[in-house]
Amino acid sequence: MSYLPTKNRDVEQRLRDEAKSLLEQGRVDYVIGFEPGSLKFTTTPLITNNKDDVDHLVINPFIVNNLSVYLTEIKGRVGIIAKGCDSRSIISLIQDKQVVREDIVIMGIPCPGLIDLKKVERLVGKDRDELDNIIRDGDKVVITVDGQGKEYPITEVLYDNCLGCEFPTPQEYDVLLGEPAPLVTDLTASRQKIEMLEGMSQQQRWDFWKDEFSRCIRCYACRNICPACFCERCFVEESEPQWVLPVPRWQDNLIFQVVRNIHVAGRCTDCGECERACPMNIPLRSLARKTYDLVDELFHYKSGTDKEASPLMTAYEQAEAEDFIR
Amino acid sequence: MRQDSQWEPKIVGFLCRWCSYAGADLAGTSRKKYPANIRIIKVPCSGRVDPLFVLKALRLGFDGVLVSGCHPGECHYQTGNYYARRRIAITKKLLEYIGIEPQRIQASWVSASEGGKFAQVVTEVTRELKEIGPNELFADQK
Repeated sequence: MSYLPTKNRDVEQRLRDEAKSLLEQGRVDYVIGFEPGSLKFTTTPLITNNKDDVDHLVINPFIVNNLSVYLTEIKGRVGIIAKGCDSRSIISLIQDKQVVREDIVIMGIPCPGLIDLKKVERLVGKDRDELDNIIRDGDKVVITVDGQGKEYPITEVLYDNCLGCEFPTPQEYDVLLGEPAPLVTDLTASRQKIEMLEGMSQQQRWDFWKDEFSRCIRCYACRNICPACFCERCFVEESEPQWVLPVPRWQDNLIFQVVRNIHVAGRCTDCGECERACPMNIPLRSLARKTYDLVDELFHYKSGTDKEASPLMTAYEQAEAEDFIR
Repeated sequence: MRQDSQWEPKIVGFLCRWCSYAGADLAGTSRKKYPANIRIIKVPCSGRVDPLFVLKALRLGFDGVLVSGCHPGECHYQTGNYYARRRIAITKKLLEYIGIEPQRIQASWVSASEGGKFAQVVTEVTRELKEIGPNELFADQK
């Protein structure tokens, strides 16, 4: 079943042809993409070296994963499908010398935004299993329930991070599948939680995060899914010195998450994977996006937009961020 | 917030080995008076200071953290203090966002010849921390 409007379906075919020819010509050892997931409206990463598998590849508004996280784990040359934010994560990995540009073939997908199923469920008041189809067409989305299609503005159902997207078209690619994507944004909705927090008192903010991190079970899903978190040994697992306790206590959970965000400052592209991966629904993006905005505000730096640039924390300007220093 | 008159803030100071540590030494040898609230840890360079040190210190109950290094352009390793500046700037802002008083994270440039400035920095930092009171951020042991 395709979740694309009929006129856009050729993109999937172009992708399959491209992926097949890459494998056939031996230009890559593996292809990383998406195949339909086991549940309706979901996709799952597909990593294959078999050219017959590429027929499973799909493109639709549910290709949520940032596949660049697999690049550091796979040996050999890789053909990878990248949306706007994914391509920036790849650039970031190139900057940090974690991957070699020549070893990757980037099949860029202009991404008009991904659909948040939780928002869809809230909007139509039905479970995702009860929906017949969700088709995005331009700035509208048609949700079909019991054979009845109903139109909604697309901004109602896009992920918060997609609503705050700045670069929907891949910043680095070898082939671009489709036309550069139009930018559909709603910055107010995207920053809603952050602005709510900024409006609180210092004590209220602390209590908010304390409460959120009391739920954290320290499964490390946020860290493991993050393409910017590529340390071979994470500071939370060090035993000498033991910086944080391995048991999930809110104090240590908070330190883990804050330090993790500082570590990925200048690498985070606001792809939203940490928040999607969190089984406890902790609003991690409110931390990640804030860090992203702070990096821009303080150092005028946008992660993953220039593969020649030095990584944020290995560069400096003579005069910057002096105001707080005595 | 608990405000007992006997309470004195505890500050951990990460001082760069080349400038600020020598500055603190000079403050001592020149008999400059400054509050005894600071506990000094010598680091090779202000660039050695990991944001994790700052959080760990607050977690352990220190009321404030001072990171001090050489003036811009005077780093023994040429650029260490510039990297430190980026790191501390983002740490301070992010910690403020999650609800830690910005006064708890302090930074200064003190050269080896600035014993007087070191005494003044410690005096000011201690006064600011007295104003905001004890660090009870991590006090809830649940």
